[in-house]
Amino acid sequence: MEWVTFVEVLLVVFTVSVIFFSGRGVIVQMRRWRATSERQRIEDALKLLLDYQWQQRPISARMLAADLRLSDTAGLRLVNIMQRQGLLETRGSDLQLTTEGQRAALQMMRAHRLLERYLATEARMPLTKVHREAHRLEHTLSPAEVDRLEADLGYPRRDPHGDPIPGPAGEMPSMQASALTAWELNKPAKIVHLEDEPPLAYAQILAEGLRLGQEIRILEITPQRYVLTDGDNEYRLAPAVAANVFVEALPEPSAAANGLVPLKALAHRQKAEIVALDDACQGFTRRRFLDLGLTPGTVIFPELLNSFGDPRAYRVRGTLIALRDEQASQIWVRPLNAQ
Amino acid sequence: MTEASLTSASDDSRHSTSRLTVKDLLSSAEALRPTLGEHFRDELVNSLYREAESIARRAVRQKDDHHYDLDQKIDRLVTSPIFGLPLMLLLLAAVFWVTIVGANIPSQMLANALFSLEEQGVAAFNWLGLPWWITGFLWNGVFRGLAWVVSVMLPPMAIFFPIFTILEDLGYLPRVAFNLDFLFKKAGAHGKQSLSMAMGFGCNAAGVISTRVIDSPRERLIAILTNNFVPCNGRFPTLIMLATVFVAAAFPPALASFAAAGSVVLVVMIGAFFTLAVSWALSRTILKGEASAFTLELPPYRVPNIGRILYTSLIDRTFFVLMRAVMTAAPAGAVIWVLGNLSVNGMSLAAHIANFLNPLGVLIGLDGVILLAYIIAIPANEIVVPTMLMVYMGAGMMTESPDHNFLYHLLVGQHGWTLLTAVNLMLFSLLHNPCATTILTIYKETNSKKWAIMSVVITLGLAFLITFLTASLARLAGWVS
Repeated sequence: MEWVTFVEVLLVVFTVSVIFFSGRGVIVQMRRWRATSERQRIEDALKLLLDYQWQQRPISARMLAADLRLSDTAGLRLVNIMQRQGLLETRGSDLQLTTEGQRAALQMMRAHRLLERYLATEARMPLTKVHREAHRLEHTLSPAEVDRLEADLGYPRRDPHGDPIPGPAGEMPSMQASALTAWELNKPAKIVHLEDEPPLAYAQILAEGLRLGQEIRILEITPQRYVLTDGDNEYRLAPAVAANVFVEALPEPSAAANGLVPLKALAHRQKAEIVALDDACQGFTRRRFLDLGLTPGTVIFPELLNSFGDPRAYRVRGTLIALRDEQASQIWVRPLNAQ
Repeated sequence: MTEASLTSASDDSRHSTSRLTVKDLLSSAEALRPTLGEHFRDELVNSLYREAESIARRAVRQKDDHHYDLDQKIDRLVTSPIFGLPLMLLLLAAVFWVTIVGANIPSQMLANALFSLEEQGVAAFNWLGLPWWITGFLWNGVFRGLAWVVSVMLPPMAIFFPIFTILEDLGYLPRVAFNLDFLFKKAGAHGKQSLSMAMGFGCNAAGVISTRVIDSPRERLIAILTNNFVPCNGRFPTLIMLATVFVAAAFPPALASFAAAGSVVLVVMIGAFFTLAVSWALSRTILKGEASAFTLELPPYRVPNIGRILYTSLIDRTFFVLMRAVMTAAPAGAVIWVLGNLSVNGMSLAAHIANFLNPLGVLIGLDGVILLAYIIAIPANEIVVPTMLMVYMGAGMMTESPDHNFLYHLLVGQHGWTLLTAVNLMLFSLLHNPCATTILTIYKETNSKKWAIMSVVITLGLAFLITFLTASLARLAGWVS
């Protein structure tokens, strides 16, 4: 029948135009997609190389390919491209970033950590998810946009895991943290950095309930585990996971030693004075607390209990404000004796 | 940035060598900004509060607060584990009962007045000798659609919104949010969502607007997308019709209005269940994330300001919602008239479409006429019942509800309604897509076509899924053929 041929011709015309249509055809789209994914791979390789360089470990093209989950040939092609762009040079089988490559890598790291900071404190994404999202978004920002993001966030110095954020010229804020595995038994410490790679170990750290700014000491070290305490709870970590927790010596007597309790743990109808907002509470939530008048020195009084315990309402400056337990655990108070 | 010189002209002559322009000042401020550190905001707010406190100490003298003790007593009662939730449900039922009973008579009076105006208009047009279709289109179509929406919608809204505003003004509603927050927390949503839900009883568009009190975008979107699961005033007539024909008929007449209010509360609780379930599903799929900062201010109890309440509830809410409904009801009335009066092969267009939709309708335990009524009623849900009755009775225009016995015989006797039809119509009415006004409001509030479309896809998908499941279940169990 004639109309069958007609339909066939139409189909062929349609397919051809879909594939070749200038600017929107499948071929052009594929080329564009390959170009962006190549740029992403270069950017990922830059970060990886910088990491190895800081740890002063050598890296070969084969290791790079394996870490990026590429085939050896694809890894070699990537190295060739980066060499042509002047981002890296080879010494024997070792790969080394050029000055230009280092600058580009730091720029990537800066974008990544600022994005993590934004996602965690402003968009309030769960901490276990920010790394992946930031990894996806970091390839889309121009340096000018990164600068603007930094200004909007108020020039933060650390990302939500405690990693330092490089400045616009690539300068790094100094950091003298040591891994928990290198820390002495029973010596008080403050957690300053929780390594977010590999994600599995990071998820374990978070699941245990450890957080930045927490004051802890090591109770027990065995080949199987590290036992930590913050005075109230005990935390158990495998040594491999404990190596991802970084601590610093306490600058001053610890919060718990000063008789401070989180607002959440304050007894019902016990008057208290707000001493500080937790360091882990940043961005949107912190601004909201401050706007409500939950500033240091303010007297706070847990007045109204929900039948289900959470949220609880507190009287502050004459108004009644309800907070969920998650929020109330971020406010440090000192119980007052009067009343 | 202006380049105006900071120093005045006389200073200029003295210090002609050192000139500081605003531009210089701004650029040096910008250079110093990164050195400020992260906590300068804290210090800023701290010093503001300190300053405000010292001013207040000097200027404000505080007398003993007698209200404080009373407030605490009321607070402990309304948030108590035993009385808190029952009190809330009782209040809700009371508000519905007052709205249903109180709106009856004014609704009737408005309808009588407007429909007699229609008769006179028709008579006048006939006297002028205008062709029948002009008279029919304008008076029986456009005007009747308007009259219907006004008489059905205005009295309940004029009662519901003031009561609602009184509860809001009293300070009771924030306590409801406080009581119910544990549910919303589990669903990954914000406790203040219960405030926008309460608003949704009046009108879902108003409910969507009131989600502005939720300051986190993720939780606000959840509240917007699920607001439609709260039945609004426009859907009450359908629910009340079902309640009176199928439920209240079993009660003595004196209790009928309580039975009606009770069944509406039951439907509302089913709606609340779907709200929480969909919120939970959303916060685990497309709106992934954890419930974030929850801060809720519980204001002191106040004696409501009647003048302000009447103004905000009647002008801001009732009138505003009514105007939007009128704008959409007039064209809908015209469409209904055209469908009811244009005949093809001796059958009205409405009947043709209803026949076409019938297989789909039967599949989900309804019928083609009900689906047609819902399609026509996209602009305004009030006209679902009148449109349905128009098609069932083969009339050329929307008809007023006759008495319940007649209705029962028409629906059950002549058109094969079963208990399944009633239950599924109730569910469909609760779950189906938002009305055009609400969709438009969602688009305006989210500024995104994607979320406006999502709101329709979620609700309509769920409506078809649930009604299909109940219908299949009823058929499998052999309750209906």
